[in-house]
Amino acid sequence: MKAILVDVTKCTGCERCVAACIEENGTDPVKAQVDRAVTKDGLSENRFLSVPMVTEGRFVRLSCMHCLEPACVSACLVGGLTKTPDGPVIYDPDRCIGCRYCMLACPFHIPRYEWGEANPFVRKCALCHERLAEGGVPACVEACPHEALRFGDRGALLRDAHAIIAAGRGRYLDRVWGEHEFGGTSVLYLSDVDLGVMGWPAPDAASIPSLTEPLIAKTPVIGLSVMGSLLGINWVIRRRMRLAGERGLETEAGRLDEATDAGRSGVGLAPAEGSRSERRAS
Amino acid sequence: MTERTRGLKDILWALALAGLVAGVLRMWLGLGATTNLTDHVPWGLWKILNMVAGVAISTSGFTVGFLVYVLRLERFRPLMKPAILVAFLGYGCSCAALLFDIGLPWRFWHPFFMWNEHSFLFEVFWCVILYFTVTAIELAPTLMEKARAEKAAAFLHRIAFGVVVVGISLSSLHHSSLGSLFLVTPQRLQTLWYTPFLPLLFILSAMGAGLMFLILVRILHSHWYDREAVFGPTQVERELLLVRTSERNGGGHRVPTSGPDAPVLRALASIATAILGVYVLVQIYALGSGGGWEALLAGTWESWLYGTEILGGVVLPILLVWLPATRRSPTALGLAAFAASAGLGLNRMNVGIFGYFRDAGEVYFPSLAEWALSVGVVAAAALVFLYFAETMAIFRLSRASAKLERPFGPSFDSLSRVWYRVLRGGLERATVIGVFIIPLAWALMYPPYHQKTPPEVTPAAGMDVTRATLRVDGNRGGVWSEFPHVEHQDRLGGEGSCVTCHHMSLPGDETTPCSRCHRHLVDPTLIFDHDLHVASVADEEELGGVFPGNHACVECHTAGQARNAESAKPCLECHREDTRWAEEYDDSDDLSRAVSYLEAMHGNCVACHEEEARTLDRPELPDCSTCHSSLTPRAVMPWSLAAGW
Repeated sequence: MKAILVDVTKCTGCERCVAACIEENGTDPVKAQVDRAVTKDGLSENRFLSVPMVTEGRFVRLSCMHCLEPACVSACLVGGLTKTPDGPVIYDPDRCIGCRYCMLACPFHIPRYEWGEANPFVRKCALCHERLAEGGVPACVEACPHEALRFGDRGALLRDAHAIIAAGRGRYLDRVWGEHEFGGTSVLYLSDVDLGVMGWPAPDAASIPSLTEPLIAKTPVIGLSVMGSLLGINWVIRRRMRLAGERGLETEAGRLDEATDAGRSGVGLAPAEGSRSERRAS
Repeated sequence: MTERTRGLKDILWALALAGLVAGVLRMWLGLGATTNLTDHVPWGLWKILNMVAGVAISTSGFTVGFLVYVLRLERFRPLMKPAILVAFLGYGCSCAALLFDIGLPWRFWHPFFMWNEHSFLFEVFWCVILYFTVTAIELAPTLMEKARAEKAAAFLHRIAFGVVVVGISLSSLHHSSLGSLFLVTPQRLQTLWYTPFLPLLFILSAMGAGLMFLILVRILHSHWYDREAVFGPTQVERELLLVRTSERNGGGHRVPTSGPDAPVLRALASIATAILGVYVLVQIYALGSGGGWEALLAGTWESWLYGTEILGGVVLPILLVWLPATRRSPTALGLAAFAASAGLGLNRMNVGIFGYFRDAGEVYFPSLAEWALSVGVVAAAALVFLYFAETMAIFRLSRASAKLERPFGPSFDSLSRVWYRVLRGGLERATVIGVFIIPLAWALMYPPYHQKTPPEVTPAAGMDVTRATLRVDGNRGGVWSEFPHVEHQDRLGGEGSCVTCHHMSLPGDETTPCSRCHRHLVDPTLIFDHDLHVASVADEEELGGVFPGNHACVECHTAGQARNAESAKPCLECHREDTRWAEEYDDSDDLSRAVSYLEAMHGNCVACHEEEARTLDRPELPDCSTCHSSLTPRAVMPWSLAAGW
């Protein structure tokens, strides 16, 4: 499982990673430049990576976090998003139907939609999975001139991160963002400022699939038990109606029927029998 | 009694046609151009109101089926047909609106073959499709009776119980799963609405409000077609009746104030409000367990919405149905049914749309096209409902009205070979429809297109940007660079490309710095050749030693400090002769001086402010704080805050 370790203190916000990302993904650089100006966080369908300034002098790389238990993967009804064993969460445009549930499900607000297209798709960072397959590193990591981004095995990076925090002696906050949140992410952050403003939750925030998947696993059981109990209830009621009929209650039911449904056509003849025997039984 | 509904039908036709126009526009121009959805509010009116609320309001198909087929409460059987029709049309509406909502509608069949059984949306898709089929099967006998296909109808009647049981099971799954859809957003949905009980709350409210909606449909139908059935005799008839009965019985006799169908509806309303009562209890428990009380008492607009939804949509109907003062009145029952249905809609809008605003940091208001399609689909369904109601005896009519029943729309008389009622009032109807449809269609053709389009940049005033080269002093350091404006403009895409650098021309806005594109110019490792400097400084200063360069550091870096960029001399100290300062330019050359935004604004505003301060005797006018708030020094005008700059 690969991951990126971001050292927020080293980032100067030069956005060379963004330029590399735009080049790698082949999006329109001019549109991306416009989107940088008109979007809140700099992410758009032309710009899968942005480096917004969170406080004075602190820039935080913002892109898909490639969660270990991704909400989008669990949410997509056609399985258009997958978490590869290598780390990237990738999107298959051939499956997508455009329901945008992934966008709603993502706790980080990452997936972007091509709203302007007549044939729209979801766009987001894929951690350069094609480069990874060839043994390379993501374009943003390669482009970073300040060594703020490191790429490697997630376990090793986490060990390094804790070593860096310990060696920094108070230079960093004692927390690796992405280690536990939502079940862990493949983009990890070391920082000297709190990243809560970026939408990061408390470290113990449960992974989103863990909220829904145990429930959905029960679906067939619920469906079948509802069906079973319906048949059971109906059997009991039919039996009571039959018993009531044997006791010669039809006449009484007929009289009551006449009293309530006076002057109306025959539809209401069978009726009252059921309701009344039901009432009597209870 | 088609005459009474003519105006209603004309309005419905107009709305449905407007929806059709909106649908065509949506397919033609795409989602971004016709909706106000954004990346942060990806689900809007079509999904939440038409699908989530539309499916929820159509629960009567399975709840009445449960009462009639499973519990054998035969008195509700007359409501079975309308309930199935409501369910069929409700699900049809949802599917239709959804086809417009999804980005790639022609791929709607993908979930049939591409499975992700971990997704609640997948479960909802399958259950909705299967249940839609079930309602179609349940509805089929009505059509077959009309078409005189008795054998098929008899077969369907035989399997009815099985179909109903399958339908109830499917419904119990997907009505709760619609709530589970929102379980994935614990971070994004407001605490007031996010609770692990969402599935239970959704199915309870859907069952209660769905029954109330059926009551509303019955009462409205009665209002238009068969007043006596629910509302009882009219005022005049009632007085006549009163006279007659008092003559016969010597007075003191009670005259019915409601029709023969009212008791059944009241019984159904009692069941529905009992379910809604349980719903309120669960809602209160969920609020308490999720820490929502503080959010409710915070007095935010969310808490007002929540209060409206619960008090108006649930508590009010319960009171109207159970209070002795209103219990016997069909009008109050209709009001209760309407309140419960509207309350369900508001609840789904709250959970699916409003509850996300705070997290999204933006407010979504549906575009005209979204409203038109959303309402148009429902109007079309209402027309279909009226067609069924008029032609297929969906409701049992009282005898007085049954005589007046007339088929809907044009009819062909086979004897005389003439079409009837084709042109009846044609011009009049066309006028009514035109009054609605033409302005709506016209407005739809020019919608406020997607907000993401940046506003136009005002051309620079007082400067001829067509000149080849400008002089730019980006950091106002008194050093001017020559900036070929026209070349930049051409390279970035001509006339429309201003926003690439100049953004939105808002206060506090900054242009794109040169370094944004010319990265290699500011990169120290590229523009500043350190080794070259070491060698040439040592050479120029004639430093001695084996490695003269080793003594060159202090020529630039302050002695005793870390040798980094901060401790180095500014480049200009040595390279003074390589740059041109502002005063060295004379205005005889063909270059324009481009002032910065700050200078332009200050130059434009401050002089005038100073003058007005004297004439108006308001000395505070030229103060910085007149325009700049102390909290946000860059913000000059309120809208700059709103624009997020």
